[in-house]
Amino acid sequence: MPDALILLSSIALPFLGAIVAGLLPTHARNAAAWLAGAIALSMLAFVWAAYPTVADGGVVRHAIPWMPALGLDFSLRMDGFAWLFAGLVSGVGALVVLYARYYMSAEDPVPRFFAFLLAFMGAMTGVVLSGNLVQLAFFWELTSLFSFLLIGYWHHTAAAREGARMALTVTATGGLCLFAGVLVLGHIVGSYDLDVVLASGERIRSHALYLPALILILLGALTKSAQFPFHFWLPQAMAAPTPVSAYLHSATLVKAGVFLMARLWPVMAGTEAWFWIVGTAGVATLLLGAYVAIFQLDLKGLLAYSTISHLGLITLLLGLNSELAMVAAIFHILNHATFKASLFMAVGIIDHETGTRDIRRLSGLNRSMPFTARLALVAAAAMAGVPLLNGFLSKEMFFAEALSAQTSQLFLLQILPLAATAASAFSVAYSLRFIHGAFFGPDPTDLPRTPHEPPAWMRFPVEILVLACIIVGILPAATVGPFLDMAAHAALGAATPDYSLAVWHGFSLPLLMSFIALTAGVALYIGLQKQLRSAPDGPPMLRSFDGRRMFERAMVFLSWRLARTLERLLGTRRLQPQLRLLVCVAILAGAIAVQVRGLGPGNVMPSGIDPVLALVWVGGAACAFGAAWLAKFHRLAALILLGGTGLVTCVTFVWFSAPDLALTQLLVEVVTTILLLLGLRWLPKRIDNPATRQAEVVTLTRRLRDLTIAISAGAGMAGLAYGVMTRSPPELLAQHFLARAYTEGGGTNVVNVILVDFRGFDTLGEITVLAAVALVAYALLRRFRPAPDSVEIPEQQRDQSAYDEARPDRSEGDTVADWLLVPSVLTRLLFPVIILVAAYLLLRGHDQPGGGFVAGLTASIAIILQYMIGGTHWVEDRLRVPPLRWMGVGLLLAAGTGLAAWFFGRPFMTSYFSYLGLPLLGEVPTASALVFDIGVFALVVGATVLILIALAHQSVRGQRAVPRSSEGRAAATRVAGDD
Amino acid sequence: MAQVPNLIPALPEIFLAVAAMALLMLGVFRGDGSTRLVSWLSVAALVVAGGLVLAVGGPREVTLSGLFVMDRFGVFMKLLVLLGSALTLILSMTYVEREQMSRVEYPVLIVLSTTGMLMMVSANDLISLYVGLETQSLAAYVIAAFRRDSARSSEAGLKYFVLGALSSGMLLYGSSLVYGFAGSTGFDRLAAVLAAGSVSTGLLVGLVFVAAGVAFKLSAVPFHMWTPDVYEGSPTSVTAFFAVAPKVAAVALFVRLLIEPFGSLVEQWRQIVWFMSVGSMLLGSFAAIGQSNIKRLMAYSSIGHVGYALVGLAAGSELGVRGVMFYLAIYIFMNIGAFAVILCMRQNGRAVEGIQDLSGLSKSHPMLALAMAIFMFSMAGIPPNAGFFAKLFVFQAAIEAQLYVLAVIGVLSSVVGAYYYLRIVKVMYFDDAVEPLDRAIPAESRVLVAATALFTLLFFFVPAPLLEGAANAASSLFAG
Repeated sequence: MPDALILLSSIALPFLGAIVAGLLPTHARNAAAWLAGAIALSMLAFVWAAYPTVADGGVVRHAIPWMPALGLDFSLRMDGFAWLFAGLVSGVGALVVLYARYYMSAEDPVPRFFAFLLAFMGAMTGVVLSGNLVQLAFFWELTSLFSFLLIGYWHHTAAAREGARMALTVTATGGLCLFAGVLVLGHIVGSYDLDVVLASGERIRSHALYLPALILILLGALTKSAQFPFHFWLPQAMAAPTPVSAYLHSATLVKAGVFLMARLWPVMAGTEAWFWIVGTAGVATLLLGAYVAIFQLDLKGLLAYSTISHLGLITLLLGLNSELAMVAAIFHILNHATFKASLFMAVGIIDHETGTRDIRRLSGLNRSMPFTARLALVAAAAMAGVPLLNGFLSKEMFFAEALSAQTSQLFLLQILPLAATAASAFSVAYSLRFIHGAFFGPDPTDLPRTPHEPPAWMRFPVEILVLACIIVGILPAATVGPFLDMAAHAALGAATPDYSLAVWHGFSLPLLMSFIALTAGVALYIGLQKQLRSAPDGPPMLRSFDGRRMFERAMVFLSWRLARTLERLLGTRRLQPQLRLLVCVAILAGAIAVQVRGLGPGNVMPSGIDPVLALVWVGGAACAFGAAWLAKFHRLAALILLGGTGLVTCVTFVWFSAPDLALTQLLVEVVTTILLLLGLRWLPKRIDNPATRQAEVVTLTRRLRDLTIAISAGAGMAGLAYGVMTRSPPELLAQHFLARAYTEGGGTNVVNVILVDFRGFDTLGEITVLAAVALVAYALLRRFRPAPDSVEIPEQQRDQSAYDEARPDRSEGDTVADWLLVPSVLTRLLFPVIILVAAYLLLRGHDQPGGGFVAGLTASIAIILQYMIGGTHWVEDRLRVPPLRWMGVGLLLAAGTGLAAWFFGRPFMTSYFSYLGLPLLGEVPTASALVFDIGVFALVVGATVLILIALAHQSVRGQRAVPRSSEGRAAATRVAGDD
Repeated sequence: MAQVPNLIPALPEIFLAVAAMALLMLGVFRGDGSTRLVSWLSVAALVVAGGLVLAVGGPREVTLSGLFVMDRFGVFMKLLVLLGSALTLILSMTYVEREQMSRVEYPVLIVLSTTGMLMMVSANDLISLYVGLETQSLAAYVIAAFRRDSARSSEAGLKYFVLGALSSGMLLYGSSLVYGFAGSTGFDRLAAVLAAGSVSTGLLVGLVFVAAGVAFKLSAVPFHMWTPDVYEGSPTSVTAFFAVAPKVAAVALFVRLLIEPFGSLVEQWRQIVWFMSVGSMLLGSFAAIGQSNIKRLMAYSSIGHVGYALVGLAAGSELGVRGVMFYLAIYIFMNIGAFAVILCMRQNGRAVEGIQDLSGLSKSHPMLALAMAIFMFSMAGIPPNAGFFAKLFVFQAAIEAQLYVLAVIGVLSSVVGAYYYLRIVKVMYFDDAVEPLDRAIPAESRVLVAATALFTLLFFFVPAPLLEGAANAASSLFAG
């Protein structure tokens, strides 16, 4: 049979079967069982078909391209060792399917059970047949996943849910560690391919990353095989249906861990680290499991701890770093699978026929189910290591290994045989308890059901397995010998030692140990009789040491307390701390970068500090400080102080001969301050500090802390600025523009030339955006309804009206009308002057400080002043600035200038310049850019006025809410009718 | 003046921008009743843009005076972004109708935001990077606060905006430092300058600030604070959008920024990325455990996923970048699927978002629960789901780059992460429902949940095409 067919079918069949079974109707018990059985048997047949190849020491391989970018194929590989496991998986699988058919009740959704079981079988086959490590980790996690589903099959019971969750949490976690370990191992070897990995033992063991890889991989293997200290999940998993336990905890799931250790044994074992980690885990598990098993009241619990103990034995054997021990381990894996599966099935039969597994209620079943009793007796005897049964053989080998272990630590040589004998005695004791407790003694009294023999087919799998125990026990070399030999050779290669599978090795030390263990076990059981009858569940001394509870406590701690604490410490929903964090991180990041690299002085010497400028800056800093301090309590004061800071900036620009910048900064400063002032109208005037003393201290501390943060952020930025400015910059764009401003743009005011010529297209875009912003602000504010508390008439107006009312000679509104009379007259006088200045700035802009933008802002300021002092009604009755028209004209002019270039056969926005002699004014530069500049001017004025109107009309509308004036409506319609 | 530049490589962006405006017009003139029509047209526009991306994509091409680059990396990432946007838009249609926030601006804003994202992916200059980032963000701020009558939604939008503005400020400040010290904002020039000479501290500080600004958009630790609040406060459909497309775009931008212009500083920025990655993975997994709101949980989950993706970036190798891209591709499928399920969570016609509200889902909606379980298992990185492979590649890249500690922390935090993902599975399957969720599930959601679940589950059969695509795209970043 072709290799590909064998391997692919072995993997694909169970998964396909799982899908089909999952699609069967809920109560199709027989159909699902037939399907599952047929699949398990055909898998067995396929595995058997590979026997001729692997028996010759060959390897069956097949690879399908999977992730070529990673050099990963989906590769399957079956050597003798994998063959043995694949046979175990499918063989025991077939028996379990048969057993489960009779075990599962008709009410359960049986097809789902078989679907999970088959999928698990596929995953397990995948683990043993994987030809590369990544794929192995992949199937490994799949077994965790499907075992979760199987254990949680009866998810209506709390025990099943808890058990399933715990099993998944522990094994999937281990699986992720394994995943990491596999990646590290692959990195060491340079390939994930199992053949390559198995051939590079020296490289792995001597690599610096050996230990991390080993620990991660062992975490995966030990959790899966329920080794101390991760053993606690296995007893919890006993909530699964018994066929699941029989399958998972004898032949498959828990064996995956030891399979992996054995698989990697040739390349990873042989070091001190391996010996200590694996050996210690093994010996601890061996003793602990066996000891605890004696005191279990639940038969399945007893078997669970016995399983833990036997896995410990196998782990210990693997940890001994001896080839013979390795062979013994493989042998014990086989033996344990047979007797433990049959014992689980026997317990299932008891549970099924009597309705309980409680050892205190069961007794004397030998009379009602004699045949099952005998089967269980033989299997338990194998578990106890009674001669002429298979368990005895591997135990003898174990004893021999324990006696001949090689290690630098001499005291171990005494401890190991002792531990082995003690554990063996314990196992005799619990086996006795199992058999004696359930099958012997007086007749049972209060069983839920009347016990009787199970259906013959339900007992059949047990019979097969027990038969195997006996035959192997009597004739080991003739039956299991070739298979074991093949597996050992496949796993160990040329290093396979000579060993003998005989029942009788003569009188030897191991035999003596067996004898002692048997006697001591029987004595122990008899001695413990009284205590066992009365004792509660769980072992004495270790009762408080409960892995499960510790796991749960750890989970609660991790998942609840730690998480909560972390969230409380690190998380917040408030904006301020979030902002604070952001700023602090930025400061820190900058500081670290500077700290690491050092920002030493630059190559440009800074000029001396002028004391006057320094003083101006002190004033500016004080203003900034005051603004920050007052921002929360008194916005108006904060705003005014902010203006002071802006002014200092302007002065600085002037100081360093940048009049253009200074002008722009000043105007922007004025306009924004005024707009902010208008906005302040709708906010509460001031918030008073809460009065209590303690709160003040807290607030003060917080504010001081924030101040510190602010100062360090500012200092950091200043430092960076200093760092930048004391270095001669690389060749930047500035030189480019300076050199070309006059020759190509016809202007000496470089900033303006950039705006209207070099970057004219950008400016066109910007003014378009400005127009859009103005329109949006207007549209948004038009429907804005001010908050009710801001609608009432301002305090000052109320006082004035009250004053009027109080006097008979004045009518209401007189004082208000005369309010700020002198300033208003002055501003009216100033209006034409400012407009003239604006025109001047506009015209001279190309060569000297000025330009359309600045001029537009200046004109806007003139209008804003009128609004502020004269009031909305007064201004709009007299001043006609239809903002939409201004904006439209501005845009058209600007765009038209650009388009005009086309008429002269030039690209868009090409500019033309010359000088024009005007009467009175003399020579005026008349670049085509001037027209563009006029467009900018018009647009800036229009946009500012439009926003202004939108804002100003808030107060008009606000008062309209108090029905008083109809003028507001007139003003509003005037603007609306503008377009 | 200059000739008209070659606009062909930018055709998808141009098309989307024009389409957004046209759709806005259509919507404005036809009113809010036409939201569904505009939504479907938006989806169509996104699909057309995807077609254009494929049509104009190819070997590296730089245009618009070096501001804009189109390469295979861009094609891959843009397709992911468009896919994410289109799918979340489809998902949100019924949701916005049921939540009475069906306004025509919604799809248009998503298209606009997507335009910004495409520009981010193709930015070849700090300036165009910023423009793309802001185009994306401004639209995002608005849709975060889309439900104006909800205080939570408004708060989310405002918070997003304020913090986003601050981080944009940092980005700009960093850019100006970079310009001041390197003399250029163009990626190609920067790369040449940095490769040629020694690196000044100012430039490094600039890089730090730029990285901080981008990290905010990524919601990587320590710039993650906004994520849970914004995810929780925004309408769920918007959260779904945030969790997918912007994240992909931000990662793409980060990758290009660090690999192309700053590629020669890998030793320096690796520390930053390392820290962000470890912080994100740990915080994402630990802080998620205590959550009871599923949107907050997904927020922390997304923080964690960004951490994993950054593991690949920290490697700084072609292998690492491939891992990042691959991770993102799988991430968006899982996330869209999970959010499709979350969007279906309604009780008595009201949207609910508690994790406990999922209890008993396996009984009331078995298929939905199964799909959600697949997504959760996949996010936890448990095979055979796609999430396993996503983690596989980034961790592998990290180990190849000898970042062992990073890889191990990654694995450990995914263990913790697995715990809270499994908690959702447990709630769905093991807890009894107090009140079952509504049965009516929109057809779009059904289709999308099924499709993404099948993708996630069956991905391992044919991983090669996606992997090849990612490898191909990653190599284009390293070719020049």
